Amino acid sequence: MAVNLTDRMKAWIETMGCYLCVATREGVPLVTLGRYARATADDEVAFALAEDEARLIEPVLVQNPRVAFGVSRQGGIRAAYQFKGTGELLRSGEVFDAIAARAKEERGIDAGAVLLVRLSELYCTKPGYEAGLRLDGMPPDDLVAWESRRWKDVPRKKA
Amino acid sequence: MVQFTQEMKEGLRVPGKGGSLVYLCTSSRDGKPNIAAMRFVATYMDDKILIADMFLLKTKANIKENPNVAVTICHPLEEGRWWVFRGKAVDIEYGFPRDFDWYGANATDILDEWGDWNRSEPPDEVPPDIVFPKAVQRGIVVVHVESGYSIEPGHTGEDLFGGRA
Repeated sequence: MAVNLTDRMKAWIETMGCYLCVATREGVPLVTLGRYARATADDEVAFALAEDEARLIEPVLVQNPRVAFGVSRQGGIRAAYQFKGTGELLRSGEVFDAIAARAKEERGIDAGAVLLVRLSELYCTKPGYEAGLRLDGMPPDDLVAWESRRWKDVPRKKA
Repeated sequence: MVQFTQEMKEGLRVPGKGGSLVYLCTSSRDGKPNIAAMRFVATYMDDKILIADMFLLKTKANIKENPNVAVTICHPLEEGRWWVFRGKAVDIEYGFPRDFDWYGANATDILDEWGDWNRSEPPDEVPPDIVFPKAVQRGIVVVHVESGYSIEPGHTGEDLFGGRA
């Protein structure tokens, strides 16, 4: 299915950062912070990771590239979504250079790697009857309309 | 050996009592991860985290086939609560044998105290546009914590309990 992030989703992801969950092939989950995030396409998000953050998940990603993430801070409940896809850890190249430079400039993060997540699944996690509702595959305009009927708040940009 | 600090116990409570919104991370048996935010959280004994089973779907399915989980603080993030707890979970649902035991946690004790969590600790702090209309609790996830690590920037992966992370 196709994922089409809305502008509101991108704003929450980029302003708050995310919690990144990976798992070994045997099903042991690990989580780390993606403090700096940028949507690089409607179905792609790049996270700048400091060396210690990258080192934690790298051995797992090498054997199993699947990634799930949710938004940090109050985004955990106000941006009630779960994003899933496959991740690639970049340590050089055009995307790494661009995201690492912005992370340094905007948040002072020294990126040792960039995790590029190509999204394939999107779920609503709002508690209640819509919990678990799958949203990928919904046409972009329909998704925007669906979301705007429920939420309109966009987080303030951090200084 | 895991033993929660007082700070951890205070952080692992419902947000309305000074605690936290947490993320419960699970995985299918073949390694497909899942992450979901949870509001009803508490500690039990010195090494267990309790989370209400109210709207669990994939989380519940994952725990049924694979007990390995991780719990981390989602909000507030920057108050020193840079913790990830790892361990084994079970969802103690109504109908479980009353003498069921999970690493020393007894099903009857757990269900008697936390079985009607929405009534005992209602979500008064949750804004009206995101509060759930009707809470139906089906059980309680009990996480037996076996290890933990930090996600504090610059210290990610460092052991929280003086053992293996």
